[in-house]
Amino acid sequence: MVELRDVHMHFEEKKVLQGVSLEVQPQERLVIMGQSGSGKSTILRLILGILRSDSGSIFFKQFEINRLNRRKLQQVRQHIGMVYQYSALLSSLRVRENVALPLEELTDKSRSEIDKIVDEKLELVGMQDSKDLLPDELSGGMRKRVALARGLVLEPELILLDEPSAGLDPVIGSVVDELIISLTENSKVTSITVTHEMESAFRIATRMAMLYEGKIIEEGEAEKFKQSKNPVVAQFLSGSTEGPILEGTPDAIRKK
Amino acid sequence: MPNADARRTVPGALEVVEIERTFLREVGSVFWFIMNTFQETMERVQQGRAPFRAASFFRESVRAGVDSVPLVGLVCFFLGLTMALLTGYQLQRFGTERLIPGLVAIAFTRELGPLITGIMVAARIGAAFTAELGTMQVNEEVEAVEAMGIGPLRLLAAPRMLALFLLTPCLSTVSNLAAVFASSLVCKAYFSIAFPYFLDLVKDSLLIRDILTGILKSFIFGLLIASIACYRGLTVKGGAAGVGTNTTSSVVTAITTVIGCDTVYNVVYTNFYPT
Repeated sequence: MVELRDVHMHFEEKKVLQGVSLEVQPQERLVIMGQSGSGKSTILRLILGILRSDSGSIFFKQFEINRLNRRKLQQVRQHIGMVYQYSALLSSLRVRENVALPLEELTDKSRSEIDKIVDEKLELVGMQDSKDLLPDELSGGMRKRVALARGLVLEPELILLDEPSAGLDPVIGSVVDELIISLTENSKVTSITVTHEMESAFRIATRMAMLYEGKIIEEGEAEKFKQSKNPVVAQFLSGSTEGPILEGTPDAIRKK
Repeated sequence: MPNADARRTVPGALEVVEIERTFLREVGSVFWFIMNTFQETMERVQQGRAPFRAASFFRESVRAGVDSVPLVGLVCFFLGLTMALLTGYQLQRFGTERLIPGLVAIAFTRELGPLITGIMVAARIGAAFTAELGTMQVNEEVEAVEAMGIGPLRLLAAPRMLALFLLTPCLSTVSNLAAVFASSLVCKAYFSIAFPYFLDLVKDSLLIRDILTGILKSFIFGLLIASIACYRGLTVKGGAAGVGTNTTSSVVTAITTVIGCDTVYNVVYTNFYPT
């Protein structure tokens, strides 16, 4: 469904991605892990065509994202849902207006049909009682759930989740994770989640990939990941301060 | 020392080139911004759908137009009052105070009304547009709209641009009326020109051309202010500080552009219609 082939990307002096290749099968729940600033979110933005890679190819189904014109890209994006780390709900619109926005703008559905779909999606994420609230009146977990409802409202084939449980308490984080699992299973949606939260990653993933220094250094099923011999993966999973990740960094020097 | 002078002049010249390059880049960017917004909006119209939400357009119209009426009206009322009073005393020395109504009416309809309105709209509404869109940009709201497959220019910039394009001439008319009304009060109170006579003098001196040129100018100012404000808002980088920087830059650029455009307009206009 999604394929990245030898993707390179840099921001000013910093090389963020240095030859990333990745394949995602339909109905898979891929979790991409990596340190903060390692380029995980950049991969999601490249799949959406919001950023353009320096080189390499990105495919969503048969479409090569980098080669699409603006109009075609907008059509392709309608098959992809995105949930942002900080939810990115439109602050001037109420919850139901936020969820209804893609339907109003991109479909010919009538008002009553839109209302029905919005109610369904809000019920799915347990937010039907908050539909008249503004995003400012919601907690972080509630916003994430509304963002998830908005991401699913067009019945996408692929959903991209950027740090879905970041900043949430463990209980609400688990609720959001469970919600992602049940939604993707029930709706047969493929998902790509980026996170550096281990518990959340192992709960969601059917397959995992580790991004380190601009490359995918390990890829496989969750169980295989736990037994990885790769010292970077092992250190990342254990959260240890001893290992190659901190070598030569100011944090390692400070520790000495 | 000639060498030292040379060292001083070279960076100066480079700076000038850099400023020119930045200026041209900015002008080009705003031009493409207008073209892209127009293109996105027209594509939508061609699909037989409303280009943007009517509610969004009316909300911006109320904010940009209706809510600006008291400020624009009041400022131009005071300006009209002052202008009539000061010119009146000078003209009275030559016994030509009956020229005041025509002078104020022509000055405001052709020049001061659109210009003052443009400056106030740039400061009041341009800043609001930039800050609002800039905050949305920083909070990834604009990117989220784009990620949904919705054109952000059409959804966010087009209603604001159309509202300001249509409402600036209306505000300009309000400012003209306020100034003429204020000058009629001064004429009555200080120069014994009765209201009916005042109106006759205004009608005798004003040409339809004066009114039309002012209105046409206002359309251009409205479009420029909205385009600069939206462009600056949607290109914010660097969090809250970036919003602040771009808001200031938006107001300064819009006011400078309005004054510059007014000058060019007047030069071109007077070439075609010297009187």
